[in-house]
Amino acid sequence: MNDNGYTGGCQCGAIRFHATELRDNPHLCYCRMCQKATGNLFAALVGVRHEHLTWTRGTPAEFDSSDAAARGFCSACGTSLYYRSLGGPHVSISIGAFDEPQRIVILYQMGLEGKHPSLMDLDAVEEVGTTEQNDGAEALAKIRASNHQHPDHDTEDWHPRQGGPK
Amino acid sequence: MTEVFTGGCQCGAVRFRVDGPVRHASICNCRMCQKALGNIVAPFAEFDAPVQWTRGRPTLFRSSAKVQRGFCNLCGTPLSYQWGDHNPALTIGSFDHPNAIMPTGELARDNRHPVIGHADELSEEPLGSTDEERDILAILHSYQHPDQDTDTWPPGGGQ
Repeated sequence: MNDNGYTGGCQCGAIRFHATELRDNPHLCYCRMCQKATGNLFAALVGVRHEHLTWTRGTPAEFDSSDAAARGFCSACGTSLYYRSLGGPHVSISIGAFDEPQRIVILYQMGLEGKHPSLMDLDAVEEVGTTEQNDGAEALAKIRASNHQHPDHDTEDWHPRQGGPK
Repeated sequence: MTEVFTGGCQCGAVRFRVDGPVRHASICNCRMCQKALGNIVAPFAEFDAPVQWTRGRPTLFRSSAKVQRGFCNLCGTPLSYQWGDHNPALTIGSFDHPNAIMPTGELARDNRHPVIGHADELSEEPLGSTDEERDILAILHSYQHPDQDTDTWPPGGGQ
């Protein structure tokens, strides 16, 4: 994988991408637009120049969050996939959408005016274990047997679970 | 007096309202939450009161037999995590005032991204040096829904 760039995609697997290289700007942004776009306390992003990025399966949907930027997501499962400055040299891909987010070292933070207070001291937040530990073997077996998340690697043939109201 | 929490997606097509208090707020590092949100953490708040969808409804993706995840299919904001028939947990960043909700528990710490817990050691990037900051500077032209309920949507009847 290290010799072959970086892969990733959305949760359901309808959208997959490949980056031959990343820009040297992995960062966290706490601004209120990134927060609300991602439903999160920050966006974790890394730039990939257009010439280094290939959408290998599917096409993301986009929302123009302002006249300056668009945000891409999977319209089937909702994963936030990128921030893109219109006319900019790169697409800022969501680090959590990469198959191996731990490979990407985050270098700086911005938008600190929006930093959530719990992030000032996250190690003080109580550790409450994992789904595996908390919900028992039966529940875990059911999730594992029915997991609709795309695996953390490319697949030749994949039929995403349909989204939509159940 | 009951504290009322409101929020919604970035574009404003989906809005919610829920009565407090928060029963539990947490940050999850597990790989399913990471990939669902495209992020390295997933902060969620749960309430005993039912969630009222005051405008639109989230689109649901069943990520496993037990769990459905809701998002806005117009702008993509991840909104909810629902276990079985339980009240949906809501993403903290989608609330109008996320700083009013303090996570008290952390899940799946074993899968933390290396930066979590060390974010304060990151250098602070000065404003105006990256593409992203152009968007912040352009915020007056933003199409993001304001952090409060609105009577009509989209504002002014659309773009």
